[in-house]
Amino acid sequence: MKSNRLAASLGAAFVLTASVSTAALAQAPVCSAPVKVLAQPRDGLTLLEDSKDEFKKLSGASFQIDYLNENDRRAKSRADASTVGNYNVYYVDEANVALFASSGWIAPLTDYYPAEYDFADFDPGRQKVATYDGKVWFAPLTGGGDLMVYRKDVLEAAGIQPPKTLDELIADVPKLTNADKGVYGIALRGARGSGANVWRWMPFFKAYGGKWFDGDKPAFNSDAAVKATETYLKLFKDSAPGTQTGSWDESTGAFLSGQVAILVESTPLSGMAVDPKTSQVVGEVGFLPPPSPLPGGGYGHGLAIGTKANADDAAKKCAGLFIAWATSKENEKRRLDAHQFGELNRTSVLSSKEFADIYGADLGKALADTGKVTAVNFWQDPRWPDLGDRWGIILEELVTGTRTDIKGGLNELEAYANELVKKK
Amino acid sequence: MRRRSSLPVTFLVPTLAILLVLSMVPTLYAIVIALQNRELSTTGYSWVWFSNFADLFLDRRFLNAVWVSVKWEVVTVVATMVVAIGLGVLMFEVAGPRLRNFYCLLFIIPVLLPRVSAAFVWKFAYHPLYGIATYPYRLITGGLIFDPLSKPATALFAVASVDVWQWGLFFAVIVLKLLETLPPQPIEAARLDHAKRWQIHAYVTLPMLKAPLISLMFVKMIESLRSFDLIYVMTRGGPGVATETLDMYAFSQGFIESGKVSYASAMAVLMMIATVITFTMLWKRVQA
Repeated sequence: MKSNRLAASLGAAFVLTASVSTAALAQAPVCSAPVKVLAQPRDGLTLLEDSKDEFKKLSGASFQIDYLNENDRRAKSRADASTVGNYNVYYVDEANVALFASSGWIAPLTDYYPAEYDFADFDPGRQKVATYDGKVWFAPLTGGGDLMVYRKDVLEAAGIQPPKTLDELIADVPKLTNADKGVYGIALRGARGSGANVWRWMPFFKAYGGKWFDGDKPAFNSDAAVKATETYLKLFKDSAPGTQTGSWDESTGAFLSGQVAILVESTPLSGMAVDPKTSQVVGEVGFLPPPSPLPGGGYGHGLAIGTKANADDAAKKCAGLFIAWATSKENEKRRLDAHQFGELNRTSVLSSKEFADIYGADLGKALADTGKVTAVNFWQDPRWPDLGDRWGIILEELVTGTRTDIKGGLNELEAYANELVKKK
Repeated sequence: MRRRSSLPVTFLVPTLAILLVLSMVPTLYAIVIALQNRELSTTGYSWVWFSNFADLFLDRRFLNAVWVSVKWEVVTVVATMVVAIGLGVLMFEVAGPRLRNFYCLLFIIPVLLPRVSAAFVWKFAYHPLYGIATYPYRLITGGLIFDPLSKPATALFAVASVDVWQWGLFFAVIVLKLLETLPPQPIEAARLDHAKRWQIHAYVTLPMLKAPLISLMFVKMIESLRSFDLIYVMTRGGPGVATETLDMYAFSQGFIESGKVSYASAMAVLMMIATVITFTMLWKRVQA
């Protein structure tokens, strides 16, 4: 009898201990230390910082985001990921995801992305950009293609219809420049970089039939590249001042302050152009897909799990939870409420009634139309940033007049590409 | 018999040991890396010995970077010394004690600004449409656009002017204070001999300040070698490669474009050797 009681007591104690342990396990925080994130400034991330407590409650730890501008973020994240690995989460983009993934600097995201956060809800185009070698590597924070954004009033005053073709664009841009009134036909990107001047040059290259490689043989040193560069330089004569050594900030800044008639830029510009907080030309802006045959430059930026700072699975799960939470439907809804157009990536949000109410039907139609001509224009390879940045320098030299021989520049790039191929 | 004190050894040995570790370890590591073919994106490497150095001399951007660095060094050092001596002498001659103090305070402010802040302030000042520094040009020409940072001919001078703005004004204060410490007798003797003001400074005061002025020049030469932050913020080495100095190009190769850390290290090693040789020669020439 006594032994039965003892056995029963022990059994009860075991059950109690087990259930307490299970409960403790169920409530065990996913994160044991603050999540360190290296990113570039984004309104969506700034907004996210207001909800730090929510993440702390969810995971047991807070997070810290260090911001650097795009080029510096790329340089710093590359240096950090390949050496010390200080950051749990890296902001990566379409241009460097192949490099980060193939170098083992980031982990496959979906292995650590909690299912309840519904990764499949992201826009399919952005999911495609986030995928390399059959695996998903980042959750999108922004992405899309290109839109032609134009000033209705300026075009109307000049008696010009919005250009539908590249030839019309080339013919119209000089007519729209009126430097005395501080209005320029177009704004392009002159600053070096695979994500800067090369990004805006690539649609011209593709429109003229250019391709980067034929197997392992560089194929870009072609008539298409020469013609694309000539067109780019010709259009640059009517590009707003400050853009010759500027990038996205300078060209969109010039448009939003009323200095530019036509701008073909990444889709987040359209949201900024209709927002009175950022635009001085609200009510005067029209949207169309890029003039044919210019393809839109498909892109996507997002958050990825660093491998060095997250040495074990638990740390990776914590980083995965942060990324899932940061890109969740709830947080995207907050970004929609804050009119952060460029920060929206989920199909459920983009197709919602609230979205249509805020941004109107015109923009929705233009976005749907431009989706059909959006393409991946860059070379999808880990060596792309290297090759793209090299062309960026040469292109900047051509734009600013430091060099004038387009063919010589392409020959130099081809020699460099051959070196890159040999090293593989 | 004099007893040898152990005090100098006690103080010197730990200090020198720390200095040796701090300076020699990274230097030796840079030399070792320069002889390999390390890249950020790969973990494997092999010894290539002097191949990186040989490649550098066939690299047009490296040769351009050498030339830009020499231009940068000459322009900033000469302009800083000219501004410093000119303004220092002017304050000494024209301003009374209270006004001198006011100018000194004013002229020290630029150098107190962090380089990156100064670079951003001037980058906006040089904006072709809104910049305060380009406003006079727009006013005179009736609204013509001048974008000094995107013109290869003017970009280097535009960035150098910020360097001179910071250091030239600060050195002017030092020159003024040096002039104030000079004994008045030689100056009075020159005045009695009817020497003009410029002659007094050209033949009396400045020769008397030769040693401190040379020291100032050396300080500026070393400081000018470390202008990476200023150039990086204002032009990133552009337009094209017009302001790409050696340190900019090394950083670009190591961390921005290709991740070729060995190639970048080879540049750093060459820079170190060139700097040591140049400075030693100049120092010996000045001492002679």
